[in-house]
Amino acid sequence: MLNNLTHSLTDMHKLLSLPLALVITMGIALWPACKKSDFENVELADHTAEFAFPLFTTDLLLKDLLFSTLNDTLSGDTVFVNADNTMTLFYSGDVAEKKASDIFNFLDTLVPIPMFDSIATNPIEGPDGVSIRIADLKEGGIAFRLRNTTPDKLTGYFEVTQMSFQGIPFKAPFDIDAGEDWFSGIIDLAGYHLESANDTLTFKYFAFRPDGVRIRVPNPGFGLDVVVVPQYLKFSYVEGYWGYQYYALTRDTIEIDINQTELKGDLKVKSPKVTMRISNSWGFPTRGVIKYLSFIGQGGEEIPLESTVFQYDSFDYVDFAYPSWLLGEQGQSKFTDITLDESNSNIADIFNSQPTRLIYEVNGLSNAQLDPSLIGFITDESVISLQLRVELLLEGSIKNFGAEQTLNLDFGEFGSLDSAGISDVEFKLVTENGTPISSDMQIYFRDATQNYIDSLFIGGPKEVIRAAPINNEGVTTGITRTEEFIPMQAARFDRIRLAKDAFLKTSFSTAEEGNTFVKLLATDKIVVKMGIKVKKRL
Amino acid sequence: MNFNYILGLSLAFLCSFPLSAQQELMLHSLPDVWHSTSTNPAFFPENKRIAIGLPGIGLDAAHSGDVSYKDIFVKKGDRTEIDFTNALDKLDPSNTVFFEQRIETASFGIRLPGKIWLQAGHANRLSGSVTYPKTLPSLIWDGNAQYIGQTVDIALQTDISNWNEWSVGLAKGFGNLQVGVRGKYLTGTTALLSDYNRQKATITTSEDIYQLSLATNYAFYASSIISAFDTAGLGFDLTLGELKGKAFSKNTGFALDLGVQYKLNEKLTLDLALLDLGGKITWKEQSNYFASQGEYQYEGVSLPGADIINGSDSLDFSTKLDTLNDIFKFQKTAQEFETTLPLRGYLGGNYAFSKRWSFGVGAYFQKRAEENATVAAGASVRWKPLQWISLGAMYSVNERSAANLGFHLVLKPGPVQLYFASDNLLNAFSVKNSPAVNLRTGLSLIF
Repeated sequence: MLNNLTHSLTDMHKLLSLPLALVITMGIALWPACKKSDFENVELADHTAEFAFPLFTTDLLLKDLLFSTLNDTLSGDTVFVNADNTMTLFYSGDVAEKKASDIFNFLDTLVPIPMFDSIATNPIEGPDGVSIRIADLKEGGIAFRLRNTTPDKLTGYFEVTQMSFQGIPFKAPFDIDAGEDWFSGIIDLAGYHLESANDTLTFKYFAFRPDGVRIRVPNPGFGLDVVVVPQYLKFSYVEGYWGYQYYALTRDTIEIDINQTELKGDLKVKSPKVTMRISNSWGFPTRGVIKYLSFIGQGGEEIPLESTVFQYDSFDYVDFAYPSWLLGEQGQSKFTDITLDESNSNIADIFNSQPTRLIYEVNGLSNAQLDPSLIGFITDESVISLQLRVELLLEGSIKNFGAEQTLNLDFGEFGSLDSAGISDVEFKLVTENGTPISSDMQIYFRDATQNYIDSLFIGGPKEVIRAAPINNEGVTTGITRTEEFIPMQAARFDRIRLAKDAFLKTSFSTAEEGNTFVKLLATDKIVVKMGIKVKKRL
Repeated sequence: MNFNYILGLSLAFLCSFPLSAQQELMLHSLPDVWHSTSTNPAFFPENKRIAIGLPGIGLDAAHSGDVSYKDIFVKKGDRTEIDFTNALDKLDPSNTVFFEQRIETASFGIRLPGKIWLQAGHANRLSGSVTYPKTLPSLIWDGNAQYIGQTVDIALQTDISNWNEWSVGLAKGFGNLQVGVRGKYLTGTTALLSDYNRQKATITTSEDIYQLSLATNYAFYASSIISAFDTAGLGFDLTLGELKGKAFSKNTGFALDLGVQYKLNEKLTLDLALLDLGGKITWKEQSNYFASQGEYQYEGVSLPGADIINGSDSLDFSTKLDTLNDIFKFQKTAQEFETTLPLRGYLGGNYAFSKRWSFGVGAYFQKRAEENATVAAGASVRWKPLQWISLGAMYSVNERSAANLGFHLVLKPGPVQLYFASDNLLNAFSVKNSPAVNLRTGLSLIF
């Protein structure tokens, strides 16, 4: 039995050995396919991938650019968009003004008026050619002195015939013992009304003895025993006759800020117009007499203005508009515009030489028409002012007009990006320009203390914006697209993305290298956009 | 009937069909192996009464084109690196990964008097395909700069199901004809199915300044595999469902297998089977529909021109890249869905030349929903040097390859049946170097 069993086992061994061997063999063969350890310690292989994505897009409207550039340095400008989308720049310069009270002063004096008699008539002191018939006083005073050299007590009053206060005639009473020296003190005349038919003031005194007899106080010598002393009378309103009279009006300098901006370069405007606006609240006709009118150029040279407008004796030249007494226009201002353009002056040539200031000296001539019945007035507020207003239709040419601007930078996530794996980047700068202006540009990247880090373009500024095509009227007819590829190594990119500001230096020229006049339209636009390709080791 | 005539006709017939990458012909050519009953319910080992099926596994997987494991998983010292560099060059514009896995856990068969066979069993099946465009891995691996000015497709299509089959079968002999039928109760474990009506996902990198445009009209169904699809971060965060090996679930369905085997004479046998007829599973448990639709543009930061001109603001490059990550903002809705089992069929013939030698021909087809039918055909030879050893070889062709050399080894010491079969021997032993793998092995006891 044991032998049989042994034999059976032996047979079984033989029977199973081969299958087992085959299974083991198959297992070994399959094992490489199924090893679980293949999936432990799995890592991503090093490789380089390149990603492209957009960075930014911005639309720059020409009118915004103009508004900003001019507002930065000019205080009184406006850019007006016309119906046809052209733009007109209106710039108003400083106002030079002259108050009437600077020229016309009446009884603004301390000179005493001796009364040798009980009545004394004095002309109202004032400028030549002016006869006052009505005045309202706002300030000043009057004083009287009477030294009683008689043996009697004297009572009475001083009177100024033409003066009244709310309808009550002016009286300064006195009561003086014999031998006494009486002084009225300064009597405030603010609010007093003065009416004089012949430009005079009449001072009277009425001195009575105790028995009621009116006497005349002796006033020998210089007449200081009885004296009237006006105290710097100031008028709020003066009305009277203004005769034909020259007087110095104003000499002044007007800065032309539009040519003192940061924009430097050759600018030519097609049809500049300069308007001299005279604002006049003097109540009588005044004619300006130009004694001197010249522009000063960029280099300090004098450029005289030549115009047919200022020939004061020509039919083209008229008095400044003025508020009329006859029409009851007291308190109003009237405006006179004298426009200089290429049809009546050399202003176009002057303006395109970019003058920095205007120097002028103007005299006034009142009542140039010699009207004998002219009644005029002035108030303490009356002024005559001159303002230069420049009107530029933005049509012209510029060549190498430079501008500088600093922009704060915040690169956001890019600033803190782990650039360890970045091998290089390439920026793509695209501009789509619908304006007739080209631009060279360079951007300087600076750190927090404005120290230079790097520049965008190597080798100097690049023309990144090319002018759009124009027709023969200088109006753009399409869009010019420019692409600029800016490759950058990782190390350089690392420096730039730490920048805190960008100093932008640009130079503008109009189409055809600035040799042709172009029209700048409010709808003109430049689209600037940038994308980036980044090659990164992963 | 002349054997040569039948063989030639079969080959001519088979070659007229489009050829496919998937096949499992070798096991079908072994009707005496118990596990081959999975290919035809009419099969039952001859002259045996009881069959107890022990675990067996079959795997059939392929990747279109020539991409292999080694092209992606590269050995570098003691670690493995994932490197798509080589693989990308081998990819086609559209690529598909197929896989079929069948795990026979246990089965039982008994021959009853009256030429009746009963069988029952359990198996777990994983069947699927993933189709992806070359541009997707290329985009991820090499970046989008290579596609400037182009619109590229990045949409995946998937049809993956994992389910359990609980089968009961009956076969009866009618003279030389054996007819078998098998009903299968299906319980789904996991599924991932693309909505074939919504398969658009494209990305465009503009030539202008590389603006990115992403368009999606993309949806899929998932059951117990993805419970959330979060793209709020920089990537795609999948929250996987609990992939427990659930034997039963609410995801149920049925399928039917039909088969016949006809013995023309002592030497020649023909067989035909249709498997997974009407097979579908309705997914109810943890089943959701994920859909993404929209167009998303990323044009970089828009800097107000007025601010630049006025210098009144910093140039702030804080990007909006986070919004990019929400482009595939999937909306999840609970929804039932159905998957259909791929219909399969076998046609075969076997000629016993002698006691030791036999020749066979076979054809296999498979038809998935929304895909073309795939067909493979082969011719085999079997040698039994000993009663308990069988060796065989097969030459087969399919769509992907016209040079598949299969092999089998069956060992039957006593009641034990151990087999190993592959339709492509080289792939079986060099999985890493091949874009396809096909192998089947199992164990059973036959009395």
